[in-house]
Parts: sequence; C-alpha cells; structure tokens
Amino acid sequence: MPTFNLTVNGARKTVNVAADTPLLYVLRNNLELSGVRLGCGASQCGACSVLADGKEIRSCVTPVSRVGDKKIHTLEGLPGLWAAKKGLTGEKAASTLHPVQQAWIETQVPQCGYCQSGMMITAVDLLSRVPDPTVAQITDAYTGGPSPHLCRCGTYTAIIDAVQVAAKAMKA
Amino acid sequence: MINEPTLTRRSFVKIGGGLVVTLAALPDAFTPNGADADAAVLDATRLNSWLEIKADGRVIARTGRAEMGVGMAAYFRQTVAEELNLRPESIDLVMGDTDRTPDGGWSASFLEGAANLRKVSAYTYQALLGLAATRIGVPQTALSVVNGVVSADTPSGRKSISYAELLKGQQFELTIPVAGGLAAMNDKGTGINNIMGVTVTGNPPMKSVSKYTVVGTSFASPSVEEKVTGKTQWAGDMRLPGMLHARMVRPATLGSTLLKVGALDKAKFPTAEVVTKGNLVAVVSPDEWEAMSASRAVAASTTWSEWAGLPGHSNLGEVMKANRVQGGKRGDQAKTADALKNAAKVVSATYEQPYVKHAPIGPYISVADVKADGTTTVWTHTAQSQGMRAHLAHMLGSTTDKVTVRWLEGAGQYGRTSMGGDGAEADAVVLSQLLGKPVRVQWTLQEDLAWSTASSAWISDLKAGLDAHGKLTALESDFIMAPGIDYRMVGAMLAGLPDVPAPAVGGGPAQFGFGAVTQPYVIPNEFHQGAGARVELMKPPSGVGLRGNIMRTPGQRQHVCALESILNEAAVAAGADPAQFRIDHTTDQRLIDIIRKTVAEAGWAPRPSPNPAARRTGDAPVKGRGFAAMYRFGAYWAGAAEVEVVPSTGAVRVTKFTIGVDPGKVINPRHLKSNCEGGVVMGMGEVLMEQLTFDQGKVTSIDWTKYRIPTMKDLPEIKVVTISRDDVGFGGVGEAANSLPQPAILAAVFDATGVQPRRTPLTPDYVKSLLLKA
Repeated sequence: MPTFNLTVNGARKTVNVAADTPLLYVLRNNLELSGVRLGCGASQCGACSVLADGKEIRSCVTPVSRVGDKKIHTLEGLPGLWAAKKGLTGEKAASTLHPVQQAWIETQVPQCGYCQSGMMITAVDLLSRVPDPTVAQITDAYTGGPSPHLCRCGTYTAIIDAVQVAAKAMKA
Repeated sequence: MINEPTLTRRSFVKIGGGLVVTLAALPDAFTPNGADADAAVLDATRLNSWLEIKADGRVIARTGRAEMGVGMAAYFRQTVAEELNLRPESIDLVMGDTDRTPDGGWSASFLEGAANLRKVSAYTYQALLGLAATRIGVPQTALSVVNGVVSADTPSGRKSISYAELLKGQQFELTIPVAGGLAAMNDKGTGINNIMGVTVTGNPPMKSVSKYTVVGTSFASPSVEEKVTGKTQWAGDMRLPGMLHARMVRPATLGSTLLKVGALDKAKFPTAEVVTKGNLVAVVSPDEWEAMSASRAVAASTTWSEWAGLPGHSNLGEVMKANRVQGGKRGDQAKTADALKNAAKVVSATYEQPYVKHAPIGPYISVADVKADGTTTVWTHTAQSQGMRAHLAHMLGSTTDKVTVRWLEGAGQYGRTSMGGDGAEADAVVLSQLLGKPVRVQWTLQEDLAWSTASSAWISDLKAGLDAHGKLTALESDFIMAPGIDYRMVGAMLAGLPDVPAPAVGGGPAQFGFGAVTQPYVIPNEFHQGAGARVELMKPPSGVGLRGNIMRTPGQRQHVCALESILNEAAVAAGADPAQFRIDHTTDQRLIDIIRKTVAEAGWAPRPSPNPAARRTGDAPVKGRGFAAMYRFGAYWAGAAEVEVVPSTGAVRVTKFTIGVDPGKVINPRHLKSNCEGGVVMGMGEVLMEQLTFDQGKVTSIDWTKYRIPTMKDLPEIKVVTISRDDVGFGGVGEAANSLPQPAILAAVFDATGVQPRRTPLTPDYVKSLLLKA
C-alpha cells in the first residue's frame, strides 16, 4: 500500500491506503473523522463535502492520491480553522465553535441532520469568499458546484437563515 | 417559576391506586430488573427502567421511540421536565435501544411515547412530593418546586431540598402500572404484535397546560448541537474490533435468482471474500474501499436469471384498475348515487400518483455481531427497534431474549422502518452469522433507491354533487392503491430465511388507506370504497419484487390529495372561493379558525378560480394560487400555494406557500416551524418532480439525477402560521405538512392556466402537453 501524507484539521497524518481510495473513507475509517458523511458516493448530494485549502470538495469522489499538500478541514476542524483565523489560543480556542456551527445551533437547522456537515462546509467556503451573501448568492452556493446540496428534511429555509446569522457574527 | 402542588399525600395514595413507593438502602450495583428478570429488556413496571435521578441531579429518561428528525429528542425532554419541574437541559435521554428502554413502540407515535414518559414523570413527581413533605415536615400543599428543588416555609425558616438530596444513598422504587407488551412475532409467524409497545396506565395528576413553562418554548435540542459539532455517533460510525465491511451484490432485477457467483481476483483484492446464502451475495473485507471495489468486480461477472414481471411505470393507473380487488366500503351507496343523479351539477375527476420514495440522503447502514452462542446485537437506525428485534429473532429461528437492537442516529427515512424491516439489518445478521465476525453493511444509494420499499402508487375516481346554491350534496370516491405496508427484510428474502409474509392484496392496504381518512367536512351523502390492486405479476422467484410501504402521512396523504382536489374542482363549479368553500362545508370551529388565519396571513383575496388572467399559452409566466385543508391526529391544517407557470415550457414554480396549523398545545414553536417548512418542501417535491421509475424488471430511478428531490433553487417563500391552544391536548405535527402542497399546487396550476392537472409529477413536459391538449 502506498503512503500518503495529509494535512487534516491542522495536523499531519500518514496513511497507507490504495491510491484510488476516496478521501471520504480515509477520513472516516483511517482518521476516524465521522463528521464526514457518506451520501450518494457519486458527487450528487454534497453530504461528504470537506474543505481543501478552504474550498469545498466532494470527498466521495476525490482519490486520496489527488489531495497532495492541500489542507483538508472536516466538520471537526471548523473550530480550529476559526481559532487560527482569530488568533485564539488555549482555553478560548478549545471552547469556541466556528460561527457557522454556532449559527446552525442558534437557528436549530438540523432535522435528521445527516446532510448538515456538508451544508456547514459550503457555508464556510461561501463566507470566506462572500462575507455578506444575498439569498441569491447563498442559493447559488448550494445549487452550483458539482451538484446541488440535497436535504431530504427540507431545511433549506433554515440554512439560508443560518448562513446570514453566521455572516453577521463573522463580521462582528 | 413556582408550581404549587395541590395534592396531599393521602390523595396521592388514592390517585396512585396500586402504586407502591419504597425507599431502601442502595445496593452495591444497580440492577434495573432485579435478579430474576430477563436481562435483554427492562421491566416496564419499575420506575428505574424509565427514569433515574442521579446523585448529581441529572435525570436519565428512557423511551423506546427514537429521533427520526422531527425534533423528538427535544420534545421528550420538554415533556419530562415539565411534569418534574426540572430544566430540560438536566435530562439525558436514552432512545430506541431494546435493552435500555422499557416501552418499545414506533417512532411515528410521539404522542403515545410522550404520554408514557409524561405519566411516569407525573407519578414520580407525586412520590417525590410525598417524600419531601415527610422530610421537611410540612403538608404537601405547603411545598413548591423550582428546577428540581423542593422548598417550604416552616416555623424554623425556609427549607429546601433537591430531588438528588432527597434520594441520596437510597434506592427509590415506584411500581409503574402498564398494559400491552413489547413487539413480538405472532404465533403463526405472520405479523408483528404489539407494534405500539407498552402503555403506561392510570391517571396521575398532571400539571395543567396553562402552568407550562417548558412545553411551549423553543428549547434547543441537545441532539442538534451534537450533530453540528460532530459528536453524534451515527449508525454508520459504529466500529467493532475485527469488524468486516460488506457491500451487497444485488440481483440483476427485483425478481432474479442467482445463477453463478462472479470470481474474486485474490491477487487484486487479497483480503476480500465473497459470501453467499441463497440469492444473498456480498463481498466483505476489513478495508471498506476494498470491499467496494471487489464487490463491483464480482458483480460484473455474477449471473442472474431473467425476470420481467413488472408492468413498467408508465401506465400504472390503468394496470391497477384492471387488477382491482375490492376492499372496504363506507357510506350509503344508493342514497349517494341518488343524490348525484339529482344534483344541479356533478364534478367528476380521476387523480393519480406514481410510486414515490422515502429517499433518505444516507443509504441504509447496519452493523451486526452474531456470537457463536446465537447472542445477536445489531446497531441500526430503525424507527421500530423492538419490532426489528422480533423480525430478526424470527429470521434466526431464535428467541427475542437472544437479540438486542441498539439504535443510533441515521438519515431521515420518513416512515419506511416504522414497522421494523426494510433496512440492512438482515443482511448484516446473515453475514455475521456466516462469518463469525461483526459485519457492517453499507447500502449504496443505487441499492437503497432500487431495493427498499416505496410509497405505493394510487388512483382515485371521485364525483361531487352540488345543489343550485353551490352546496355539496354528495361525494363518492373509489380509491385503488397498490399493496403497501410491506415490511419484509430484503436480506431475509434473498437468503431464503423466514420473515413476515408479503402484505395481503386488496383488503389490507385498501382498508388501511381508507381508515386514514378523517375528513372535517359535512356532506349530506357520501359513499367511499377502497381497493387494492392484484399484482401477482409482482411476485417474482426471488420473493422481492416492487414493494410498497407507508411514508410520512401514510394513507391520508393520498386521500387528502384526491379529496381536496375534488373540493377545489367543486368550488370552481360553484363559482366559490376555495377557502370560503371549505368554511361553508364545516361546522368545526378549529378548522374554520385555522383556515381564516392562514388565508389572512397569506394575503388571500377571496375569488373563485381560475384567475381572470389565466392563460395556457405564451412565454411569460402566469400566476395562480390554490388551497387545501385537512385534519390529522388532533391537528388542523390549511395551506395556500402560489405558483408561476410558464405555458410555453410547462415549467411550474412555487413562489410562496403559507401553511397553517392548530396542533392544540404547541410543544416547541421553532421545531414546529421546521417541521412545517420541511413538510412543504417534501410535499412540493412529490407534486413537482418525484416518481419512482421502473421497467419490466428493475427500478431505473437509481440516483439523484433520475430520482429528483427539491433543491434550494426550488424553495418557495414559506410562511408558517400557528394557533396554540391550552385546552385541547396535543396533536401530531411530524406529518401532515407534506400532504397539503399536492392538492394546493394542482389547484394553483389550474388557477394559473385554466387547465386542471390531475396526475403527478408536474414535470414541464407533462404540464406542457396538458396545456397543448386543452
């Protein structure tokens, strides 16, 4: 098995897996990051989304061999991403969620919640590019890309609200 | 908030009937059942099986129901907290495990499940008051309780004691009166008994709704925070030492049997292994990706028998009519026929809907560990853990005490597993038993869409008679539905192992669908009949075939579509505004109130349909609106859809949906709003785009490009209108919201174009063809 060195949630990780293994299974099985969720396995739903150098990618169709030195962040890594951005350390860093996560809790977005990891990843990507998105821009972020992000519980209204709540918090 | 208890100890004893409260020295180890009981389940007559008050003040509450995405993890905590005068944050909830919860039941029945814990909490509260009165030395009437601390003014000053202090160092026992039992296969092996599980009986004094401080607030569900922070352990996250990953190799069609298993290239997949039992074929490996890659390679060279027993999806309504099997009847056939004959106007219409899918975002996943002695543990996300346990014990030829089902969170499935069955549990158990190792079976999306059950197709003929004043004099309906409630396990069928039989044709599903109708209107003459469709042609050699099941708002969703649609068409014939037409045909004030509030909030100006500007040609969008109402499980609903139709393309866009609900007492306003919004989106998907497609042998809508569900681009503005009442109890709100869009949007398209669609989905091509034909 070939060896791959990955940077995941700010830490260097080494894994020995087949080169064509999708990143999804490496994150979930080798690195035990269960925030990454399996949906369609074909880049059609967005449940498996993670950040690669801050941009959303679909981990279910991204072979581990293509990750290279891109910095990967999963749901579990969002607080760290925010802490680094704001220069938070120690206790403060450990106890601070990413504003997107905080907004998802405040707005109580999840119903079954299965797709929401990918939804939050998209929000973080969007807000890094567009600090104050309009509803149209939010809708584009969730329906453009490789495929629309799908939520069977129909939480789309709550997602739009939460992205706007997060945008406000991140500007503050 | 201080709640003044008004009961004395004497009255508690009287009200409690046979209740026994004891305090004894705390044993070394807590054994909920005592020494002799069945270790596989909790004894529902013992308080500690339901509730435990820990030394740190936290309370463990246990329910056999599970969170299915409608907010039950919040509602159960709120219900318990209210009766015990606690904060909901202090409650830890255990859900759905067969060995760690006492009552079983299906997760669609929050009302029954919550009633159990509510009563247990109320019994406990009275017992705690009794203990506190003795300890403090005052009558119970002198006590007040705030956040789990009991206080009273005494001659020596104010004294307070927490529940935890009250019980410190002692075992608190209370006998809970119960009826019913846990789910079990019936003696003939033909069905699961006790689907509703154990019921707590008696009438303990409960807090009056007007004094609620927790129920009625938008308490943030702890399970939401766990999901947002990645702390939730989902069923798919379960890992066991030595566990193998499995991918199933499914037959070529829904009816095929195995001819020859494909070869496994050990050089390429060194740690993979093929496992076969009957028509059940799987590839397992310690490495998930190897299992996936190897299963694809094996599937490519595995051969199956041909089967072409399905009628195809395109002409299903006619197929069902041709294979009609009479079910139940209700009303006076002769009188209704007479009233229709004498009516000033008669409106006739046929509505139909294809099979649609529950379509969870995460395909089904289960982990099983079958030990050599037959002890079996399954981790899964079923909505019916005790029923699942009964299925599996029966399949294994074992007894339920050998089987444990542990529930973990999963993707919402909207009723698919309400009766147990229809998941990956049987696959996992069969493989684990064969291999002697724990096995994790992850279905693929393609497999989930093709091999799980679907909400059955239906077709309904209706006639409505109107008098000269535009009042309904008669209503007649004939509803045919393909067999439903098929909760057999795919894994058991393919492996040739016993499970419940296929559902009966005719009586069963027809009665079911029919019984679900509780229409809130007064119509002088009515006759309704339900029917099943004989689909022997769907019974293939593999035993599987195309299988129907219940889905969110089962039975009633379909009837509401047909009934509300004929009312909308009758309102057109009467020249009446459709909302006012409902009000004119009911005496139920709650229905009238929610209709009035909903249309007021929607900015609905009364007028008959169609829109005076209706048009069926042209490139410019034309606007329309439609209405629907319903009653279900103690809740009244109304919905107003606003659409834009582009006649030249047939594209229908829902621009706004106003949904109103009076569920009695609202438990959690924010989660109610979420349920309404989500229900509208799901219902909108059914009417605009969803359809299970299949050819003569297999399902063809097997990914998200072929089975389309709504995306954020399809989202209308959704306005939620609620009426909360303190004096009528609780109604069910997890369902119903997905039923209103269908009839309301069908009517809105008519309002916009003057052409009435009566079949879904309203794809652009279909709408365009309707407008061209008109």
